[in-house]
Amino acid sequence: MMPKGYINNLGAENLASTSEEFIDKGSKKLVVNFSDVQFINTIGLSIFLSIVQNTLESKGLLCFTNMKKDHREMFEMAGLIKHVKVFKEEKDALNYLNGRS
Amino acid sequence: MPFNALQEKDFFGRLQELDNLTKRVLQADRGQAQSAVLSGQRGIGKTELLKHLFGRLFWKQDRVAPFWYSVNPALLSVADFSKTYLVRFICQRLAFIKKDQSLFYHDGISIDGLSTLVEEREAFWAKEILDQFIQCSGDPVDALRLALTAPHRSTLSTGIPVAVLIDDFHWIKGLHLGGVPDHRLASLFQEPMAHGKTPHMISGNMAELQEMPVASGLERIQVHPLGPDATSSMVLSLLNAHEAEGVVPPLLIRQLGGNPYYVGCIVTRACEKNNPDENDFWKAYIQEIMEGTLAHSWSKVLKRFFPDLGQRRIALAITSKIYHTSEAISCQRIAKIFALTDSQANDMMQALYLAGFIRGEFGTFRAMDDRILRDIVDSLSMREILAKSTHDLEEHFHEALVPQKEKAVRFDLTLPNSKDAELIVAQSLEQIGKNLNINQDAIGQLQIAVIEACINAIEHGRGMDDKVYISIAAEEDHLEVSVESAGQEFIVQETGEPYRDQEATKTTGRGWGIKLIKRFVDQVKFEKTTYGTKIVLIKKIEKSASIHQEDTAIRD
Repeated sequence: MMPKGYINNLGAENLASTSEEFIDKGSKKLVVNFSDVQFINTIGLSIFLSIVQNTLESKGLLCFTNMKKDHREMFEMAGLIKHVKVFKEEKDALNYLNGRS
Repeated sequence: MPFNALQEKDFFGRLQELDNLTKRVLQADRGQAQSAVLSGQRGIGKTELLKHLFGRLFWKQDRVAPFWYSVNPALLSVADFSKTYLVRFICQRLAFIKKDQSLFYHDGISIDGLSTLVEEREAFWAKEILDQFIQCSGDPVDALRLALTAPHRSTLSTGIPVAVLIDDFHWIKGLHLGGVPDHRLASLFQEPMAHGKTPHMISGNMAELQEMPVASGLERIQVHPLGPDATSSMVLSLLNAHEAEGVVPPLLIRQLGGNPYYVGCIVTRACEKNNPDENDFWKAYIQEIMEGTLAHSWSKVLKRFFPDLGQRRIALAITSKIYHTSEAISCQRIAKIFALTDSQANDMMQALYLAGFIRGEFGTFRAMDDRILRDIVDSLSMREILAKSTHDLEEHFHEALVPQKEKAVRFDLTLPNSKDAELIVAQSLEQIGKNLNINQDAIGQLQIAVIEACINAIEHGRGMDDKVYISIAAEEDHLEVSVESAGQEFIVQETGEPYRDQEATKTTGRGWGIKLIKRFVDQVKFEKTTYGTKIVLIKKIEKSASIHQEDTAIRD
């Protein structure tokens, strides 16, 4: 998944419904690439919380890549970072996930 | 009073309030109008609002007759007050019939002269009231009761309701019989105020009105400070009236806190020079707080409450202490600091409160949210207690006020209540960072904090002014962003911290906002302002030596 621009209520809700679709179809491994994310606010952050919860409940694995330092700090503050894997580049996450299958 | 000279187009930022008040008093024709008190800081425009209400009611409709009365502290004997109140009411009521403003100026007319006048105009209802008033001349309290109920009596006779507009109502507590003020006399207003066809709109010194049972029970209508746009329009109009051109520095506009009286005094003083520049406006401000109309008006209030020079000096010292202490101060602490008995300290604090120099909360006292009053208190105490010269004062205020704007690069923005408006500020910060070569990490963190502050401000100001005012100042070693909105309820008075909306936290995660702000900036200040609430974010900065490299984090 590649969210873009400003992750507020609308942006994050789109992301949440996309992730739900993937999970419903049986996908267990999700990668969110943040390279095109410019800003995230706390409303967006709270919706990420539900994405993380859904993934954990479905025994899935969520990877974040290409995160700016500030955005990572936001996720740390919200206590979400410990439930996801963070990689510098998307290919690193894909290699990691392929290695686990 | 030249009510016909009042132009609504020059009444900046108040037309909505004027419409609301008009609607309120016009309910009198259905017998459903309620009396109210206009509340707001000194100089905020309560009197002007009442005057415009009078003008509008007098000239633009026929359903409700307006009666304007400004209480004169020199005419507070029951006999004097009753006569002037009744004479003015009858003159204005007669004037309303044919929109004949010449009758406004019959203040000095005798009761006999007025009797002749009403006979000539065949105003039999007025003749009846005057005859009864003459019969009551042996009992001043009965005469007062009759004068106060005259608007209601006229309504019963003519069918036309009366809106009674009384300015400086706080003086009413000084009504006296034989030189001895009797607070119970003011309670005679209760009966006419209760009638739905004679709504009374009163204004005056709010602290004193709150101490008067007849006023404290009335609904309060808050008169808010002017917003920046209305302030700018007013400044422009004043400059035009003086045939001058100039731009008031934005920092000075903020200093004036949307108080039309302050704005008028400063701009008028600055216009003594043709086409004043920024420095002239600051000079005008400093002159005003030192020895101008503003300084004199506050000094006069202080003298009224503390006629004795010794007491006045102590009062000034106490006020200065309160204005330079961030937390609220109790009477006991003041007693200890100034070696007063508890009773003396209580009396001083009560008088300062009634004078409008301090505000009281839960048995403690704080400074007013009024930057100009703060400077005037400083000026008065430096002059009267520390015996500083005019030159010293000028230097002090020049250093304290003017350099701020010279060091800082300042950007001001006004956000409407529209979708993603906060991004405008975030993007602006990015460009400011690039222009000033500021480290991009610091800018990124500040952007996140500012987005949260703006969202908070938009949420809490919703339904009020619906605008958020942003000021970004780039100083030598830090960036300061202030976000100001009309929401008053955002701050908890006792702690100075914002409320946390538990429900919002649960449903939206918005409770993280303040935590996030505190994490990403070096200092956060919450301030209650005359306009509403302000959050100030301060971020230390370093200037970048090279072009920013994309900063990404790695975990594994």
